[in-house]
Amino acid sequence: MARLGMVIDLKRCIGCNACTLACKQENGTPEGVHYARVITREVGTYPKTKRTFLPVLCNHCDDPPCAHACPSGATWVRDDGLVMVDREKCIGCRACAVACPYMNRHFIEKGLLEHGYSADGLSPYEAIKFAEFDEGTMTKCTLCAHRVDQGLEPACVITCPTDARIFGDLEPAEGKLQKLIQERKGWTLLPECSTKPSVFYLDE
Amino acid sequence: MTTQPISIAQHRFGFGYYRQVWWNWLIGTAFFCGGIGASLFILSLLTRYRFGMLLGYLIVVVGKNSAHLMYLGRPERFWRAAMRPDRSWIARGIWATGLFAISGFVLLLLEFVNPQALPDGMNLAARAVAIMSGLFIMFYDGFVMNHSTAIPFWNTKLLPLLILMYATLGGTTLSLTLRMLQSYATPEVKWMEQAEPYLLLANFALLAIYLLRMSRWSPAARETARMWLKGSYARIFFGLIVAVGLLATLALSLVQQQAQGRGLALIIAGCELTGDFSLLMLMLKSGLFAPQTAPAFGR
Repeated sequence: MARLGMVIDLKRCIGCNACTLACKQENGTPEGVHYARVITREVGTYPKTKRTFLPVLCNHCDDPPCAHACPSGATWVRDDGLVMVDREKCIGCRACAVACPYMNRHFIEKGLLEHGYSADGLSPYEAIKFAEFDEGTMTKCTLCAHRVDQGLEPACVITCPTDARIFGDLEPAEGKLQKLIQERKGWTLLPECSTKPSVFYLDE
Repeated sequence: MTTQPISIAQHRFGFGYYRQVWWNWLIGTAFFCGGIGASLFILSLLTRYRFGMLLGYLIVVVGKNSAHLMYLGRPERFWRAAMRPDRSWIARGIWATGLFAISGFVLLLLEFVNPQALPDGMNLAARAVAIMSGLFIMFYDGFVMNHSTAIPFWNTKLLPLLILMYATLGGTTLSLTLRMLQSYATPEVKWMEQAEPYLLLANFALLAIYLLRMSRWSPAARETARMWLKGSYARIFFGLIVAVGLLATLALSLVQQQAQGRGLALIIAGCELTGDFSLLMLMLKSGLFAPQTAPAFGR
């Protein structure tokens, strides 16, 4: 069975946040909810400083702490490894948010779906997309499961202008993702949390 | 290349420690009510103190559950929280609270209506279920918090023990205070008075060990410990939790052994419960997630 994942090449990432916007546009997330984002940090001391960028998203862990913490079974794992939330079962206890080391769970507060990014109320697009959310429940990145199921790639992957994101199946040992991980010594975020993420980073 | 020390990120696009912002004062209140209510009920059950049983029961069943329901995003679906006791400590807590509510209700009926209504075997079974479920309620919050590795300051086996000890102390203090207010002079009052200082000292020692351990744990845990001891939370920690909750309570408890008084009992309870509640609230508020780092970030 496939195990879907992603490799992010930090040598290519320029911190443009196109992925952040593409994700927001594709999923129609409410204000303040960003499934994909880029963490920026300035390193060094003047005059030798630079900005570094770390694109983050749900890691769709192989051992997801959010699923273990969920008391209602709303968080579940697909056969292909994607971690999903069933909004019909979610009770909004936010245990998953506390359990996720990567801060990639988002709570839809009451009133959040009543206004969009414009002061003039919801745009037609927001009106359609916000219907996919429920107040008082959790939401998260699905690696664009609705696109993946049609054989397409996630929005953040196809939008990236530098091809820093590579999406695919992590299972085949000789597959393109595993080759990249082995050749360039790919690593995952917070390995000490033992979550077995499906998102790998390359910086060599 | 040198880097700046890691601080708390102001937003999710920034680098640094992220604050735990989901579990707030309602969850703290639920944990608090569960701990002291269950502790008060168990102590009162074992010492045949009916009023304590009733109050402890109400604190858990009404206080704890109300706080939880008010917090849930979808409270009408609360029953779903019991679905996964195989892997979720919250689900296990729901089951324990349910068993406590049923067995406690039966025991209260027996106490207030007809103590001989049930055969001895069933009476004993109800007491066993109430005590075991009550004990579970006293400490399971610690496992809810420490289960995940996401917040290093919580991810220690010491946390359930700390929560259990504070619940025991809170229930004992409350039980003692209620009996003194009602001039309920029984032998239990004497041993509770004598036990109180030892419980306070034990909690003080455990808290010190907890912070000492966290001061040598991972960076996020060390940062939280620093905030408690020297940073933005030092006033709350040393003021409310240590000075009021432990030291003042200890001093007044020793005075009470010599010169008993209802007013003094109330002050002792106020001090101890303030410290107890403050500890839970500070524990929730100060939880930090480790920063998501990369080699280029100076990891």
